[in-house]
Amino acid sequence: MRPGTKRLWVPAGLVALIVLLALLAPLLGLPDPVRQDVAQRLAGPMPGSPLGRDEFGRDVLSRLIWGARSSLAVAFASASIACLFGTILGLLGGWFRGLGEFLAVRSMDIVLCFPPVLLALLVVTLLGPGAGTLIMVLSVLYLPGFVRVTYAEVLSARSHDYVEAVRALGASAGRILTRTVLPNVAGPILVQFSLAVASAVVLESGLSFLGLGVVPPAPSWGLMIRGARATMAQAPLLLLWPCLALTLTILAMNLLCDALRDAMDPRTATARPRLRLLDRVLPGLVPPAPNAEAPEAVLEVGGLTVEIATPRGPIRPVEDVSFAVHAGETLAIVGESGSGKSVTATSVMGLLPPAARPVAGAAWLEGRDLLRLPEPELRRLRGGAMAMVFQDPMSSLNPVHRVGDQIAEAIRAHRRGVTQAQAWSRAVDLLRRVGIADPERRARAYPHEMSGGMRQRVMIAMAVANEPKLLIADEPTTALDVTVQAQILDLLAELRRETGMALIFITHSLGVVAEIADRVVVMYAGQVVEQGSVPEVFGAPLHPYTRALLAAVPDGDTAPAGIPGVVPQPHAFPVGCRFAARCPHAKPACEAAPPALEGAGEGRTVRCIRWAEIGAKKAEAVA
Amino acid sequence: MGWVARRIGVSLLLVWIVASIVFLAIHLVPGDPAELLLSSGGVAPDPGAVAELRDRLGLNLPLAQQYVSFLSGVVRGDLGTSLVDEYPVLDEILLRLPRTLELIAAGALIAVLVGIPAGTLAALRRGSAFDRIASGVAALLLAVPVFVVGTLLVLVFAQILRWMPAGGYVPLAEDPWRHLTLLALPALAIGKGLVAVVFRMTRASVLDALSRDFVRTARAKGLSPSRVLMRHVVRNALIPVLTVLALHMGTLLGGTVLVEYVFNWPGLSTPLLRAVEARDYPMVVGIVLTISALFVLLNLVMDLVYAALDPRIRHA
Repeated sequence: MRPGTKRLWVPAGLVALIVLLALLAPLLGLPDPVRQDVAQRLAGPMPGSPLGRDEFGRDVLSRLIWGARSSLAVAFASASIACLFGTILGLLGGWFRGLGEFLAVRSMDIVLCFPPVLLALLVVTLLGPGAGTLIMVLSVLYLPGFVRVTYAEVLSARSHDYVEAVRALGASAGRILTRTVLPNVAGPILVQFSLAVASAVVLESGLSFLGLGVVPPAPSWGLMIRGARATMAQAPLLLLWPCLALTLTILAMNLLCDALRDAMDPRTATARPRLRLLDRVLPGLVPPAPNAEAPEAVLEVGGLTVEIATPRGPIRPVEDVSFAVHAGETLAIVGESGSGKSVTATSVMGLLPPAARPVAGAAWLEGRDLLRLPEPELRRLRGGAMAMVFQDPMSSLNPVHRVGDQIAEAIRAHRRGVTQAQAWSRAVDLLRRVGIADPERRARAYPHEMSGGMRQRVMIAMAVANEPKLLIADEPTTALDVTVQAQILDLLAELRRETGMALIFITHSLGVVAEIADRVVVMYAGQVVEQGSVPEVFGAPLHPYTRALLAAVPDGDTAPAGIPGVVPQPHAFPVGCRFAARCPHAKPACEAAPPALEGAGEGRTVRCIRWAEIGAKKAEAVA
Repeated sequence: MGWVARRIGVSLLLVWIVASIVFLAIHLVPGDPAELLLSSGGVAPDPGAVAELRDRLGLNLPLAQQYVSFLSGVVRGDLGTSLVDEYPVLDEILLRLPRTLELIAAGALIAVLVGIPAGTLAALRRGSAFDRIASGVAALLLAVPVFVVGTLLVLVFAQILRWMPAGGYVPLAEDPWRHLTLLALPALAIGKGLVAVVFRMTRASVLDALSRDFVRTARAKGLSPSRVLMRHVVRNALIPVLTVLALHMGTLLGGTVLVEYVFNWPGLSTPLLRAVEARDYPMVVGIVLTISALFVLLNLVMDLVYAALDPRIRHA
């Protein structure tokens, strides 16, 4: 049984049992719940009375079960009435709008002006206690909930295509409401109904406890608690039983409500994989030493492999990825979605989500392996020696802080002794530097007051605040307008030239690569498939995937050729070449064993067993 | 500022509607206060005396005229006098309202002090033993009705352990220590549900904030974990928590009735119960109006606080 269904069925079974007990009370052969026997006053458990007798000598067990009957009768009756009228009002208000909407929906705001107990109290004391009054006032109290739920559902249903279609076919309003809208509202209404019943049980018992609900001597849990209070010193158990019954019932109902709500809204139900302590401990692999022949590399990644724990077992979205980037150089990492570009970048930054961890390889920055650095030291590097710009500047900026504060915060995190005022004026300088007009005023703005391009400039200002040696930009222009994209690219290129920092630019757009990068790493399904300088890779692509990517770029008069198929999912990576299934040149040998990354000239590597063969054929065809 | 003015206008309108509804309801429901006042021991009162009393109380005037004089009184801050003992309604409210508010404030304080740290910790240690136990306790606290908690607190702490008095009230100025011990149990009882609500909301909202991109940005800046937590996670997560807190504090205004009854706390609910029974119109209307106005005011204040916390609201 899935945990989700268990969460629903356990409380549902409990509630069903309580309801059943209440329904069957007359058939259970219980002693009369109202017959008094003063001689047996406060008697303990005895034959026929397993829970003893109360202050009037009445049987406690019988009163408990009969009490459930009156509590649940009031609760279900009021919830049903509220459900019926609330749904009708909501339907009418949502469908006819105008005055109907005003009367049906806005009038509910008035009911919500009264604290519930107060309203109940007022009505009950005016009309006199009793089950009828209780049901009436509780129905009024729960009316707004049903009206609102139905109203919102109808509004959203109205805009759905199928409702539009039925309307266009000339169906009457009543028919549309009952046949198409009502089934959609059923789920939320069921949740609302269970909430109303649970809450009605609480209110009914509360009012009965005050002596304003069910009229004695009829049994009710609230009345039983009220009665037992007087004798709590002699017979505390008498108090405990109804308290327990009431709490258990409400608990079961609440759990049922929660489970129902989760079942109706799958978003809240999906649980993320739980973290084991083991996952946090990095594996004790001996890291490969940095390449002594290229000491000037700012960042050198070697054999990076990332594993993510999923319910279906571990997956490796990044496997054996190696590249280096030098000062003043721009390296582009290019590939389709799901190729592992962003996971590579976030693991270098130490920002992987908790379920993911690097299991092999190393990432050297200034002589230190980032993958094995303790978090406090890594933190000093993040935002300091290495910084990152993310894809969506709107969600990446905190909406509740001024942008100037968010930049100043980055400065103060890395420089001790800098005052807030100094950091602020530096933030203003940075905003000016990234091309924001009127930076003094703009620093005081909140992210939502800026345009997308301006927000991304803020993100860049934040990233370069501490003059990083390495800047990783993860698709920084994807969320922006085309015209703004070019400005941001220019800004990044300019900053790189000025500061001599290394820039890693992650993108899926080859056009951007050609414009900004010196060297390019092509990734596919978590692996590097080709690497080299931009002119060489673009001029003479070696891997069939690179070739297909270049062919897919719209280019003047030739129509772009799409790549058939999709990137395989990490849990379904094939044993052999991962591109074989989509490759026009695939041979059985390609699928037999994983191809190795081969050297192909100065600074070039390619992962394809047929690259030389295919290249020769191409040359022949051209000749 | 137009937004604030409109929001205040709507609140005033709601208070007026509530006042009118309460006034009408109590006058239209059968039951003659003059008759009730004069009858004793089940003997029908002298009709002449009843008529004279009705005249003196202004109950023979047309309803519309009574309504107008009631409204003009409210505007002037005059809620009339009790029909039973001719004590000014406003004075009675001013005497007892602070006690009710004290109870609610103490309950809310407990909820915030316990619920927010516990909810944050549960979210950070999601799935841990602490998370599961705390979530279970919260579910239980939500399920136990407030008068059950109150009664059981009295049973355990006053009857069995004899650590605290079962109930009552002593003014703070008279005996501060005794005042606080008397406050402890009712405050616990009233805060119990709120603790659970605040805990749940904080947990959900911190979990949500943790997965946001701006938290990743904050970490990418190299901020310390405590700073990321306080400034970027908790600060953002508090906005929905405050809304829920405000909503439920409003419900508490009504919920105090049960707690005040259980613990014998002389707040607003005792005279309310008494007044409704005696058809003491001015007293009922005055108290209900006060509570509802507070309820509306609380929502207004929370909207304003909300706007201060979330700059996006101000422009909506």
